[in-house]
Amino acid sequence: MSEQFQPNVVAFLCNWCSYAGADLAGTSRIKYPHNLNVIRVMCSGRVNPLFVINALQQGADGVLVSGCHPGDCHYMEGNFYARRRFSLMNELLEYVGVEPGRFNMSWVSASEGAKWKDVVAGVVEKAKEAGPFDQFRRNKINW
Amino acid sequence: MNNKPKIGVYVCHCGVNISKMVDIEAVTEFASHLPNVKVVRNYSYMCSDPGQLLMREDIKNEGLNRVVVASCSPRMHENTFRKTLAAGGLNPYYLEMANIREQCSWVHEDREDATGKAKKIVSAAVAKVRLLEALYESEVEVEPATLIIGAGIAGIQAALDIANAGFKVYLVEKTPSVGGKMSQLDKTFPTLDCSACILTPKMVDVAVHPNIELMTYSKVEDISGYVGNFQVKVRKKARYVDMEKCTSCGACAEECRLAGRVPSEFNENMGNRSAIYLPFPQAVPAKYTVDPERCLFLTRGKCGKSPKCVDACLAGAINFEQQDEIAEFKVGTVIVATGYDVFDAAKKPEYGYTEYENVITGLELERLVSASGPTGGDILIGKGENAFVPKEVAFIKCVGSRDKSVGNEYCSRVCCMYTAKLAHLVEEKLPDANVRIYYMDVRAFGKGFEEFYDRVRREGVRYIRGNPSEIFKRGEKLVVKVEDTLTATPLEDEVDLVVLAVGLEPRKDAREIIDLLRLSQSSDKFYLEAHPKLAPVDTATDGVFLAGCAQGPKDIPDTVAQAKGAASSALVLLSSGKVKIGAQISFVNEATCRGCGYCVDICPYGAIELVEINRMGNIISVARVNDALCKGCGACVAGCLSGSIQQKSFMDRQILPQIAVLGVMR
Amino acid sequence: MVDLEKMRTIAKETVSRDDVRYLIGWRQGTYGFRVSPHFVEGPDEADKLIFSPLCSNNLATYLTLTEKLPVPRGEQPDSRKIAVMVKGCDSRAVVQQLIEKGIERDRVFVIGCPCEGVLDLKKVEEKFPGVLSPVQVEWSGDKIIFTLADGVKEVPKGEVLAKKCLSCRYPNPVMSDITLWDEVKPLGDGKYEDVKEMEEKNPQERWSFWKDKFSSCIRCYSCRNVCPMCYCDDCVLDRLNPQWINRSSNISENSAFQLARAFHLAGRCIECGECERVCPVDIPLMAINRKLAKEVREQYEFEPGLDPESKPFQSSYRPNDKEDFIL
Repeated sequence: MSEQFQPNVVAFLCNWCSYAGADLAGTSRIKYPHNLNVIRVMCSGRVNPLFVINALQQGADGVLVSGCHPGDCHYMEGNFYARRRFSLMNELLEYVGVEPGRFNMSWVSASEGAKWKDVVAGVVEKAKEAGPFDQFRRNKINW
Repeated sequence: MNNKPKIGVYVCHCGVNISKMVDIEAVTEFASHLPNVKVVRNYSYMCSDPGQLLMREDIKNEGLNRVVVASCSPRMHENTFRKTLAAGGLNPYYLEMANIREQCSWVHEDREDATGKAKKIVSAAVAKVRLLEALYESEVEVEPATLIIGAGIAGIQAALDIANAGFKVYLVEKTPSVGGKMSQLDKTFPTLDCSACILTPKMVDVAVHPNIELMTYSKVEDISGYVGNFQVKVRKKARYVDMEKCTSCGACAEECRLAGRVPSEFNENMGNRSAIYLPFPQAVPAKYTVDPERCLFLTRGKCGKSPKCVDACLAGAINFEQQDEIAEFKVGTVIVATGYDVFDAAKKPEYGYTEYENVITGLELERLVSASGPTGGDILIGKGENAFVPKEVAFIKCVGSRDKSVGNEYCSRVCCMYTAKLAHLVEEKLPDANVRIYYMDVRAFGKGFEEFYDRVRREGVRYIRGNPSEIFKRGEKLVVKVEDTLTATPLEDEVDLVVLAVGLEPRKDAREIIDLLRLSQSSDKFYLEAHPKLAPVDTATDGVFLAGCAQGPKDIPDTVAQAKGAASSALVLLSSGKVKIGAQISFVNEATCRGCGYCVDICPYGAIELVEINRMGNIISVARVNDALCKGCGACVAGCLSGSIQQKSFMDRQILPQIAVLGVMR
Repeated sequence: MVDLEKMRTIAKETVSRDDVRYLIGWRQGTYGFRVSPHFVEGPDEADKLIFSPLCSNNLATYLTLTEKLPVPRGEQPDSRKIAVMVKGCDSRAVVQQLIEKGIERDRVFVIGCPCEGVLDLKKVEEKFPGVLSPVQVEWSGDKIIFTLADGVKEVPKGEVLAKKCLSCRYPNPVMSDITLWDEVKPLGDGKYEDVKEMEEKNPQERWSFWKDKFSSCIRCYSCRNVCPMCYCDDCVLDRLNPQWINRSSNISENSAFQLARAFHLAGRCIECGECERVCPVDIPLMAINRKLAKEVREQYEFEPGLDPESKPFQSSYRPNDKEDFIL
C-alpha cells in the first residue's frame, strides 16, 4: 500500500487574532491535520511576501498567511497592507504557473477556533492535491 | 570570551496535557542533538516553582545564554518565563517558546504525528533563539501636565479630577464659555435636576482652581510629540475685550447698535443677542466677547461716530486693537472631550423642519422651556403677535438615528429619555396640552429610566408606535402622517407643535482633531477607542484619551464616569512620571536606508520620520524610529524594499531560519 | 518633428548654466546601430547629442547613480542640477523616482523628447547585418528611414519597432522642464493583450514556459542594473546576512530572484522595457512586470510614474481592497 503524500505547510500567524484563534482551537480540543506548522509574528503586516517564495524554496508544499479581519487589526492597518501585498503575490505566483492552492491567506479572529480548523484542513487538502512542490524547490546538497 | 549560544531546552509534560499525545522522551532526546543545545530537561510543570528553579539553576551553573521552553502557548506563559530568565540573571528576551500544547498535543490524534510535529516546533524555536538579542525596555519621562480639549461636562470633570490630584491642567474651549451642551439643557433626566444648578458650581471650580489654566475662545492649532512629551500650540482668539478690565456689567450689549438683532447660538437661534455678548447669563468666564462676523466696527471699519459699546463701557475694557495670542506649552497627556453636534433636521425634509416654524428640535424646545431662554421659560411658538401656546404637541423619536438613509445607523442613546423628559416638562407647563410621542422603540435602560418612563406615561403622555412618514400643513394645523403599528391604523394627526428628537452626531470639525492627534474614527464616525470593551477611554495613540460624547453618544452620568476614567488613565502616566517603551520595536540600519519614506507612510502610529544626517559631508535623508511611539507591529519591515528597517526579535534574519527548518524537516 | 538643431542648442544652454552639473543625453555608440549615453559637461560636447529611433536607453537610471563622494572639509556638497533627456517612458521613471524620494525635484532638469517609438535592435541587426560604420536613422510617418553606408533604406515601422512601443500610452513626457518638440499620438491602447494571452494558459503550460525561461537566467543582473527603479545601494537579494537567495543559477534561485524582483517592482515598474532589452538570454521580463502593472492598474486603479504628488503604491491601501482570494 503506497503511503499517501503528507504535505508540509508553513503558516504565518499574527499574534493577536489568528495565533489566538489557533490557541482557542487547541483549548477547545478541536482536531485537525498535523501537516501545518506555525511561525508567530506580531502582525500579518510583518509578513514579507518574499517569505512565501522562500518557504516554497525551502520545502513547503503550501503556505498560509493569516491575520485579523480587516478593520480589527490590533495595530489598526497592518492587515490592510498584508491584504494588498499578498493579493499581488498570489497573482504573481499563479501567473508563473505555481498551482493555485499552494499559497493561501485567511482572516481568523481570536474567537474563531472552529474556523481555524477549517482553514488548516482546507489548506492541507489543497497542498495534498497539488502534490509535492518541486517547481523551484531548493535541493540541499548532502556533503 | 565565548559568545557562542548555549541553549537550554525545557520540555514540559504539562501534567498529561502534552505527555499524553507527545512522546516527551523522544522530543528530549531529539533536542539534545540540535546545534548549540547544551542542556535539555523535561519536567511535569515547567511554569511551577520547581520547574522555574530548574531553569534558573541551569542558567547559573551551565552558563546558559538562551532558553527554549517547549510547553503551552507563548500567549499564556511568555511573561512568566521572561521573569524566570530575569530572575536567573539572563536578559528576558533570550527566550523562545515552542507551542507544543495548544497547537500540537491538544489538536492532533496520532501520537507519532504529534511527536514528529513537536520535534519540528522545537527545532524551529532553537533555530530562532540562537539568533535572538538582548533587549532592554527603556523609559521616557512624562511631563506632569495635561491638555484637555473641550470644556463641556466631560472636559470639566476630567480637569477637576486631574487638578485635584495635584497636576497642571490646560483646559481649552473653543466657544467663549465653558459648559458645553449641558449648559443649554433645562432639566436632566431622570431626576429632573436643573442642569445649570448642577453644572455651574463645577464651571466656577474650573475657573478658579489653582492648577487649571482655562483658555476659552481658544483653539488647539498644533500638537506634536509623543506620550509624556507633547508640544502644544493654542491660538487664543481675540475677544476685543480686555478680560482683566471687563466687569460684565452688560452695558455694552445693551447699547450695541445690533442689540437684539444677532441670532444667539446658545438659544439655538430662537432668540437674539448683540454683536458684543455673553453667551448666557451664567457664562464662565463672565467676560463679554465681540462677534467678529457681526460687529459693525470690525466688519465695516466703522460704527457710527464711535462704537456705542466703547462709549458705554465705564471700565474701558473694549479694545479693537487686540490680536490673537499664541500659547505654547508642554504636556504629558491629552484628553479629547470635544462633545457632539445635534443632527441637522433639515436632512429629513419630509418633516418640514425648515418650512414650518412649529417644527422644532428637542434642543430648541429645551431652550424654550428654560427660564434663561428666549421666552423666559414659556412654551411660545412663533414671534411677536403671532406667538401662540401649543395645545396638541407631537414628539417624533429617532430623527437622524437608526437611519441608514442619512448615514447614521447607530442609536443615539439619549433621545428616548430626553423625549420623555421634555414631554413631562410640556405637560407640567401646559396642563391643557395633549402630548403624544411617536416611537419605534423605547430604550429606558439606565438607573431610574424605566421608572421615569412609567411616570411620564401615567402623567398622560401617549406613546404611539409608528415612524411618521411626513408632516404637512393643513390650514392652521400641522398634520403628522403616521401608522399606529400596534393597531395597524393609519393616522393623520393634527397638531400645533412637532418636536423632532434629533440624534447626536460627531462634530462637524472632528477631522481637525484627528489630524492633530492621528486618531481614528469608528464606522459611526465618532472617535475610535483602543478596544471597545477593555480600553474604552484609550486611543491607539499612547497618552491620548477620550471622554464624553466625542467617543460616542451617551448621557450625563456616563459622560462623567468616562471623564473620570480618562482622568484616571491620564493620572496613571502623570503620577508615575515615567512611561515604559516596548522592547520589540523597529530600528533602522542607517547605512542601507535610502530615505524613500515607505515606512513613514506605512506606520499606523506615525512613529517613523525622515531625518537628515551628514554622511561624509553629504546631507542625506534616512528613516528614524521614535522608540516611544513604535508598537512593534512590523508593517514597516515588510514594506522596506532594502530590508533596512527591522523589528527586534522578529528580524528577517531571525525568521528565515525558522522557515528553513520548517520547510526542510519533514 | 525631431529638431536636432534645437536640441543641441538647448543642451548647450542648459549645460552652460551655473546651476547645472552635467547633462545626460544620447550619442552614436561604439559601432553601427549602437547608441550610448552621453554625459555632457561642457557646451562643446553637446554636438554629439542625437535623438533617433535607436535611442532606447532609459537615461533616468543614471539620476540615482550620482555618486555622493565624501566632501572635503570646508567645502559644500555639489548641489547642482543634473539635466536629463527623456522620452515619454523615461519621464515616468523620473516621476516615479520623485514619488519615492530617490531624487529631489530641484536637483533634476528634465528635457522632454516626445518619441514616435524606438527600434528593437535585434530585429534591425537581422535586417541589416554586419553594419559597422555609424548610421543615421529617422522617423518618417509610418516608416523608418535608414541612411547606411550603402544607401538609404525605408522600412515599415511595424517590422522593426520594439515590442514595448506597440503598447505605449505615454510617448510624450509626463513631466518636463522643457519639451523640445510637438507631442505625438500614443500607439498603444492599454489592453495588456500579451499578459492576457499568458493568463489564458493552464498552470502546467505556464510553468513549462517560465521554467524554461528562468532556467536560462545566468544571474548577470543586467536587468537590475539598467532598471531605473532598482537603485538600492545594497540589494536585499544580494545580502548575505540574512541570505534570501543564494548565488547559484539554478531553477530554484533564479525563480526566486525573478519573482522577488518582479514583486519589488509592483506599482513601481513604469514599463520602459529596458530590462527585456538588455537580457542576454532573452527572458521576456516585460511579460512578468506588465502582469503586475496590469493588476495594479485594474485592481487598484494606480499607475506609477504619473503624478509626483501621489503616494507610493507599496505604502498605500484602501479599506475596500479586493479580498476574493482570502479564505
